[in-house]
Amino acid sequence: MTLFSTGSFDPQGPVAETMADLWWFMLVLGTAVFILVMALLIWGLSRRRPPTDERPSNESPRSYDWWVLGGGVVLPVVILIVVFGATVLAMTDTPEEIPANALVIELVGHQWWWEVHYPDAGFTTANEMHLPVGRPIAIEMTSADVIHSFWAPALGGKLDLLPDGTNTLVLQADEAGVHNTACAEFCGLQHAEMGLTVVAEPPEEFAVWVAGQMEPAAQPADESAARGEEIFLSSRCVECHTVRGTPAAGDAAPDLTHFASRRRLGAGAAPNNSAELAQWVADPHTIKEGVDMPASQLNDEELAAVVAYLKGLK
Amino acid sequence: MSLPPDPPPSEPVPSGKETPTLHEPMTHEELDRLWSDPKGLWGQLTGVQNDLIGVRLMLTGFFFLLLGGSFDSVLMRLQLAMPESSIISPQLYNELFTNHGTVTMFLVILPIFEGFAVLLLPFILGSREMPFPRLGAFGFWTLLFGGLLYYSSTLFAAVPDAGWFAYTPLSGPEFSPDLALDFWVLGLGVAEVGAIAVAFEIIIGVLKMRAPGMTLTRIPLFAWSLLVMAFMILFAFTPLIVGSLLLELDRGFGTQFFDPQLGGSSLLWQHIFWIFGHPEVYIQSVPAAGIVSMIIPVFSRARIVGYNWLVAALVAIGFLSFGLWAHHMFTVGLSPIILSFFAAASMAIAIPTGVQFFAWIATIWSGRPAWRTAFLFCVGFLVIFLIGGITGVMVAAPPFDMQAHDSQFVVGHLHYVLIGGVAFPIFAGVYYWFPKFTGKLLDERLGRWNFWLLFIGVNVAFFPMHIVGLMGMPRRVYTYDDGLGWGIYNLISTIGVVAFIVPGIAVFVWNVVRTLRRGEEAGANPWGADTLEWGTPSPPAQHGWSVLPLVTSRHPLWDQDDLHSGEPWLVKFVHGIGNWPLRWRAGVTVGTADGRPQEVFRVADPSIWPLFTAAGVLIIFAAELFKIRWAIGVGALVVIAGVIAWNWPKKAPMTVEEESAFEREHGVPVNAGGSVVIAKWATALGILFVSIAFGTLLLSYFYLRLENPQWPPEGIAQHGLVRPAIAAALVIGGGLIARWGLGRLRDDRRGSFIGALAGTLLMAGAGIVLQVAEHLGYDFTWTAHAYGSIFYTLSGFVIGVAAGMMIMTAMVLYWTIQGQYTARRHAAVAHMIWFWTAAQLIWLVGFATVYLGPRLT
Repeated sequence: MTLFSTGSFDPQGPVAETMADLWWFMLVLGTAVFILVMALLIWGLSRRRPPTDERPSNESPRSYDWWVLGGGVVLPVVILIVVFGATVLAMTDTPEEIPANALVIELVGHQWWWEVHYPDAGFTTANEMHLPVGRPIAIEMTSADVIHSFWAPALGGKLDLLPDGTNTLVLQADEAGVHNTACAEFCGLQHAEMGLTVVAEPPEEFAVWVAGQMEPAAQPADESAARGEEIFLSSRCVECHTVRGTPAAGDAAPDLTHFASRRRLGAGAAPNNSAELAQWVADPHTIKEGVDMPASQLNDEELAAVVAYLKGLK
Repeated sequence: MSLPPDPPPSEPVPSGKETPTLHEPMTHEELDRLWSDPKGLWGQLTGVQNDLIGVRLMLTGFFFLLLGGSFDSVLMRLQLAMPESSIISPQLYNELFTNHGTVTMFLVILPIFEGFAVLLLPFILGSREMPFPRLGAFGFWTLLFGGLLYYSSTLFAAVPDAGWFAYTPLSGPEFSPDLALDFWVLGLGVAEVGAIAVAFEIIIGVLKMRAPGMTLTRIPLFAWSLLVMAFMILFAFTPLIVGSLLLELDRGFGTQFFDPQLGGSSLLWQHIFWIFGHPEVYIQSVPAAGIVSMIIPVFSRARIVGYNWLVAALVAIGFLSFGLWAHHMFTVGLSPIILSFFAAASMAIAIPTGVQFFAWIATIWSGRPAWRTAFLFCVGFLVIFLIGGITGVMVAAPPFDMQAHDSQFVVGHLHYVLIGGVAFPIFAGVYYWFPKFTGKLLDERLGRWNFWLLFIGVNVAFFPMHIVGLMGMPRRVYTYDDGLGWGIYNLISTIGVVAFIVPGIAVFVWNVVRTLRRGEEAGANPWGADTLEWGTPSPPAQHGWSVLPLVTSRHPLWDQDDLHSGEPWLVKFVHGIGNWPLRWRAGVTVGTADGRPQEVFRVADPSIWPLFTAAGVLIIFAAELFKIRWAIGVGALVVIAGVIAWNWPKKAPMTVEEESAFEREHGVPVNAGGSVVIAKWATALGILFVSIAFGTLLLSYFYLRLENPQWPPEGIAQHGLVRPAIAAALVIGGGLIARWGLGRLRDDRRGSFIGALAGTLLMAGAGIVLQVAEHLGYDFTWTAHAYGSIFYTLSGFVIGVAAGMMIMTAMVLYWTIQGQYTARRHAAVAHMIWFWTAAQLIWLVGFATVYLGPRLT
């Protein structure tokens, strides 16, 4: 990770590219203005002048009025017209309408996780969003509680998820890559740990992923996992979580149908491996203080079984 | 007459001619006693002297800075220094950044600048006092009480944690159910009342209380900037108070203003908040620019270039700042046309700022700099504020802002603006004016340490934030993952704060303490400055000017050899009011534009009622906070009683004949009972205040109206119009009778006037009762839908204004019967009629809106 090589400095799609171009343009112009003004200031401060031991008794020379008019009015007006022109051009390059070939994804913000729907394919997942490379994406976003904001800096700008209605953000990824994004509007206690993994992948891989997500949950592969499923389905887990293909159909918490296929757990709070998962199931507050999910009362054997079951939900 | 010698300036900046001396009258000590506050504890509670109030306001601001600005930021920076660190909990982090923003925006810079204004204006403008010493005292007490009420949340373990912007619905009853946000809304509410009170005082002080001869174009630029600031406070804080009221109604009374499920809108809060919040930034930077405009010329030994341009720039910034609030909302999903409008408006503010910059640089060019600490801070300001300004233009471009918004880039930007653009000028101002009020020069060597530590610290701490923000680090996060490459930038920022900024502030505190104990004597005019305050001794007398100065130049101390020569009648006049027989606190008002004396009046003296009234305001807000609703009524009674007692007419210390004699001799009328001119201005500003609040409610009504396709919602029928029309006719008719009565009073027919006021009370009272009865008959509530919420709130406001008029009318009636008002002295009655006119209009427009609004399609 070096300077200027990540985030919005490293655009991976046309929308982010437009924004980065505008940034570099304004940076060059701003630097030029800074150098010009500083040069005038330093020159003015350091040039030799005869000592003035009079009370300043005359008005300043009229010539200085031209400084105010030229430097204070004309120069900013010219620069601002240029900057505003570049801004308007960049805005026209930022799509407002949903392109006909766009893939629509519905994103719902929750304190503090992301619910992701693919309406065409008809499935729901959470905290991980996959995009096909090279195709416009329209993210229709809303919030179930407070205001959140979606921001994948390498792909485009941010847009707020409001409880009032739907906002639509159009963007496109031109390169494959995994982006660990974060909520950008303060949304309460765990605003910092509200991550969404955005995975841009070639269309073929995306199609495979979609097909996999549309499947119901995998059956437990071994005895331990089967025992885990039994515990899961007989506990309070099902009040909030959905696992398609089982009776678990709660909608207050992330859909777990293909939980094991995700890279992170707890909305970006930890990597999705068995050790972290065991800790999460035992007491999620040790990883992410303040989440709604309560600590479980499982013994070691039961915990291992539930983890085995969840890790099988590929 | 004795001429006390001016103490010689110690090591003066070369200033050529001697600073002009002033003629002390024989009555110097008597004047001093007359203008002093009482001694002892009672004096501390009743004091109104501008020196006392001004210094207190500044100390209050500095106290909250140490508490909230420094302590919080150090803790936050320590937490963020390393990725995934767990020095503090997420809850504490959220409380810290909420407190840091809230305290600096409401309780630090604002009281410091208002304190500068109250302390300095009488000296800079060449008057003896501020126009409303008691209002100034009230403003101080409410600011202090509000700040303490807000901070007392710590004692109740319910610390606000929703950010200084308190966005709904996060700050609403559903997601912040405990008392924490009530401390935020209500504690700050008290402080906002104080901020507005002092703003009244500043506006009238600059416009009406100046030295004879100080025309509009001779007003020092700092005073101009304070005038603009005060108007902005009035126009920005009033909507915020209304917004806070709506939020508290949602939280405490179950209204639905900000609940999208029931007709409300979460964005309504953002609009109201940023209509306040953006001007708030300029409320802070405008007076800072004023300070810089005073100091640069003095230390460049040159006249300011482009005075008229600078005044125009200040006024333009004041206006423009109200037209660009939505640039804080570029990511909420506004349409492109609105985005480009607010982008253009936001960029346009760079033009007046450019004018200021080039005027300052040209001033430096036309002179020869003297490197004192105050000047160093001004140069540092130019460098850092320029960077903040350039990044400001960048974030005004929506496509870029969609990346930068709510990222660390903005944190970097705003600290360049607020530390470089506001804190540096405040330091410059302290180094510049400290000797005037203490008689001691702050140490220059420590001053340079102070400056360089802060200058380096600001850049080390805040520059990296721009980079890490664009790399993707959001704001307001208590932690971040390792492996994102953000760690090094955060570590550098923390080093900037801990190793440079904190020591820099410590050096400043040490410098002040050390100077107070054994500082170098300053003399009257250590800098060879040009403005009036440097013509008084350091520290100046309690009453400021014994003989008011006569101003014939924009730079009186550079251009005038004598501050007391001029037109003979003016010379005679200023000596006339500097001497007996005016055995009372005589102030002078001048023409707004021409600076010619208009009136001599008695300035209010020390009083306990400002503190009493401030306590009443505190009771109202604290009672709502702790949900002891009956105590709200107690607080309201305390406020009403306090205001009445405060304004209780005092026997004029001069007879009408004596007044006329003075006017014949000096050509300036005397109002020993109290000022007519200033009361007129205060009335106008009071009406403006009520109108802005009313306007905010109207905007809220129509915003909700547009958000809801069905208005009123299902289940609420259109309202009948007959009874409201009758009620309106009664209230408006009642006001007209009072107006008719004023004419009778002028004809000296007091009996008819008393009858008219009684008629007003009966008729308008009947109208109010009829309207309240109509409301009680409605079967919809304020809790079911935002329609009912705004319906009852807007009507309640209108009825409240009318009820206030009833109290005012009753008091005037009582005082008339007591014989207070005559055909000659009845200014208070005339002003009540102005208020009645406003109340009539508000009733008409308010009820037309709630009854006809639903019929608009």
